[in-house]
Amino acid sequence: MSAATLRRLIVIGLIVLWEILPRAGFIPELFLPSLSSTLAAGWNEAGEYGHALAVTLYEVAISMAFACGGGILLGAIVGSLPRPRILIMPMVSSLYAVPLVILYPVFTVWLGIGSESKIAFASIYGFLPTMLATAAGIQTIDPQLLLAARSMGATLSQRLVRVIIPAAIPTVLSGLRVGGALVIVGVVVSEMLISSAGIGYLISRYRTILDSPHVFAGVLLVLAMAIAFNAAIKWIERKAAIWQTGTRAGQDSAGEVAPTALQPAT
Amino acid sequence: MQPLANITPLKPAGAIEVRNVGQIFKTTTQDVVALEDVSLDVKPGRFVVLVGPSGCGKSTLLMMMAGLRQQTSGTITISGAPIPEPDPNRVGVVFQEASLFPWLTAEENVEFPLALRGVTKNDRRARAQDALKLVGLDGFGKRHPHELSGGMKQRVSIARGLVQDPPVLLMDEPFAALDEQTRMTMGDELLRIWAATGKTVVFVTHSLTEAVYLADEVIVMSPRPGRIVDHLQVSLPRPRTYEMLSGDAFGSLRDRIWRHIRKSA
Repeated sequence: MSAATLRRLIVIGLIVLWEILPRAGFIPELFLPSLSSTLAAGWNEAGEYGHALAVTLYEVAISMAFACGGGILLGAIVGSLPRPRILIMPMVSSLYAVPLVILYPVFTVWLGIGSESKIAFASIYGFLPTMLATAAGIQTIDPQLLLAARSMGATLSQRLVRVIIPAAIPTVLSGLRVGGALVIVGVVVSEMLISSAGIGYLISRYRTILDSPHVFAGVLLVLAMAIAFNAAIKWIERKAAIWQTGTRAGQDSAGEVAPTALQPAT
Repeated sequence: MQPLANITPLKPAGAIEVRNVGQIFKTTTQDVVALEDVSLDVKPGRFVVLVGPSGCGKSTLLMMMAGLRQQTSGTITISGAPIPEPDPNRVGVVFQEASLFPWLTAEENVEFPLALRGVTKNDRRARAQDALKLVGLDGFGKRHPHELSGGMKQRVSIARGLVQDPPVLLMDEPFAALDEQTRMTMGDELLRIWAATGKTVVFVTHSLTEAVYLADEVIVMSPRPGRIVDHLQVSLPRPRTYEMLSGDAFGSLRDRIWRHIRKSA
């Protein structure tokens, strides 16, 4: 049996257990409502969940543009120029250890409890790994490749477009994978903390009234969002970094995102 | 007023002239003399090998001939003109294995220098096909470097160096990363390509056997400061064969080089 088949079987097994265990009474419905009652709860409030999903997706999209755009831009500068690197890198490294979630209450004071504070928090949250990965990607380009390009008469801009950017793409994409996942975490967590809309807010609100099926319906939605994001990144990796197939990209990295992404938030 | 360079007679294509070249690397603590008063003439169509221990400046000298680095003093001319910057129409360069672009196919790698110059797609493809055929890689154009063996990658690299048909081919330890058998085969292949194209080749290596086997002339260099200590003519007949490796003529040439290198290492 191949690893992929086995993996699918495990997922199916977990889904079946999710349905059977609460129904058979092994687990109280309050702790884990059965899959069918979770789906039913979500379906009955489809309008509410749809609205929450739209809010969350909007916040995720804007934050991702800020985090990834800013991260790639600053990462490229820091990676290619030594002077900004010396200035910025020590700050970034020490910032990396700070649980950024402490900034969120400050953002709500500055920007209110609407989408703006979530976007600000999630952008900063996803920005650092993207920037660090881009900087590393550009710094670790094989100098032999640049020398070879120069020997063929490549100008500075030709080296940038034809060598530096394609050579950095795989590392930048792995940065986007982590950065983008952190953006989703940032948005959902901040919605759960102080908010008036979004999936995180719904989960948090239903939890306070101990309505487990509705809580888990929200959890399912977040799960689906993360899986969709991961699939999108994989698709881009396959399109853009075709030369990496056979080495590393596109293999088995799906499982790594959630744990690494969740760690700093808790 | 005409500049003086225009009235000096042009050297034939492929001639390399190195005159009193010196190179000093400045570090924070001291100046390191990498090359001192190096002079050298390579006639068109010759196969010249530079050998010497690590740090003798042979790669540095090659980079200067390629226009990738400027000497501190002295002059270098290729086909009669100085080379202040890389010029793939005059000089093709082949590096160690790692220098193929992994995201491009073999033929796209060979086309790369042409693409930089805006040569049309059809023209590019045709010339890349010719170059790949020349190095014995007909039919492998669509593969990516990671799908090629070490020897095949180096063939692609040679094709890339030759695709603009420059009179001079500079090679910086091109077979150093290959295993022994592949290395021997590639040496024979290179000699075949050289005979077919009539290029001037300057070849840097650590291997004395490779040096004598390939060369018309071997230049031996010594380190700190880098200078030329011997200049041997290899008069073994061509085509070179494996049997020559065990002959007396071959052995005495290799011994003579080894004595220089042992002294300075």
